[in-house]
Amino acid sequence: MYKLYKNTDKTQDVGIIKDNTTFIPFDEANTDYQVYLKWISEGNTPEASE
Amino acid sequence: MPYGTVNADVIQTSTAGGILGAGNASIMKNRIINGAMVIDQRNAGASVTPTNGQYVLDRYFASLSQSSKYTVQQNAGSVTPPVGFTKYLGVTSSSAYSVVTGDYFLISQRIEGFNTADLAWGTANAKTVTLSFQVYSSLTGTFGGSLCNNALNRSYPFTYTISSANTWTTVSITIAGDTTGTWETNTSTGIQVNLGLGVGATYSGTAGAWAGSAYFSATGATSVVGTSGATFYITGVQLEVGSSSTGYEYVNYQTSLANCQRYYEVLVYDTNGQAAMSAPFSTVADSRFQWLFKVQKRANPSYSVVSGSWGGNTPSAYFSVSHIQFVTNGTYFFLTGSGGSTAIGASAEL
Repeated sequence: MYKLYKNTDKTQDVGIIKDNTTFIPFDEANTDYQVYLKWISEGNTPEASE
Repeated sequence: MPYGTVNADVIQTSTAGGILGAGNASIMKNRIINGAMVIDQRNAGASVTPTNGQYVLDRYFASLSQSSKYTVQQNAGSVTPPVGFTKYLGVTSSSAYSVVTGDYFLISQRIEGFNTADLAWGTANAKTVTLSFQVYSSLTGTFGGSLCNNALNRSYPFTYTISSANTWTTVSITIAGDTTGTWETNTSTGIQVNLGLGVGATYSGTAGAWAGSAYFSATGATSVVGTSGATFYITGVQLEVGSSSTGYEYVNYQTSLANCQRYYEVLVYDTNGQAAMSAPFSTVADSRFQWLFKVQKRANPSYSVVSGSWGGNTPSAYFSVSHIQFVTNGTYFFLTGSGGSTAIGASAEL
């Protein structure tokens, strides 16, 4: 469902991809990110970035 | 020559009963965005069967506990809008569903806290507001809705009556401001306005009183989703300061669009079928495309390819409230789609 993705240098994760369609920033004011954090708090783990 | 200060919640015209506006006259009188339902960036008038939380017409989202019980479409059913309007938000029930205790089916709008801060809710100085709209339904009876805070631990259920089926009816509900609770005054939700389409007992409360619970409608309200094919249309939605409703605050189209674009903006294709393409369009070390937003966003937005798909490579995205920068390392990228129709959407909805 969620997958982390890296910057172009592949040095750090810079966002999350949901369902391979929506790219979500690490911003606590972003409601998609809030939903992601709730999903994490329920014990889920995103797919690692490549 | 100084003229002093006038503090007026309502300004009367010289014509008896004529009211110019409430709160700060006609400047930001209406706290609802897209109250006339003219902006529909996501669906452009197409019908959708929304999922929970899905935005339909701009700034309005569907909140639902069971899927596929209703559809939403701008100008659904093609009835004549009320005088002064050309668009409405139309809900059509997809089945005869009997709501159970924990069910809720809503059309809602979250108003940003910056746009409700002056109401001083949560303080002794809380201002009275009036919610008004035009409604048209195949059903008659008592309908419900509510106002809620961001935490959904303060709510005010209300009722209104539709006496004549398939007739535009003007509704006005006056609500004394909440003097307790926490009401956000920043980029979070200040007030959430809900119109119930069928709400179970868990989320229904006594009309006309503030409660420390998440009530989305009033006890006993009519269920739209309870009748197959039932219709429920609204337009001219306005939330204003004051104890009476005043004329709808018309906003020119470009201003209404810009107001919506603070929360959602779409980058559409050009005559070459391209919404986005790296520069240079070749295999280079670092290909970039920067999408500068027309309107600064409420928060760093998420983005989705809403039409077409990435060709070449899928770029990484770097976000800010003013732009998204798409970057690939070692190759180019572009949006490609059937018939050359490509688009990207950026969402910073509440």
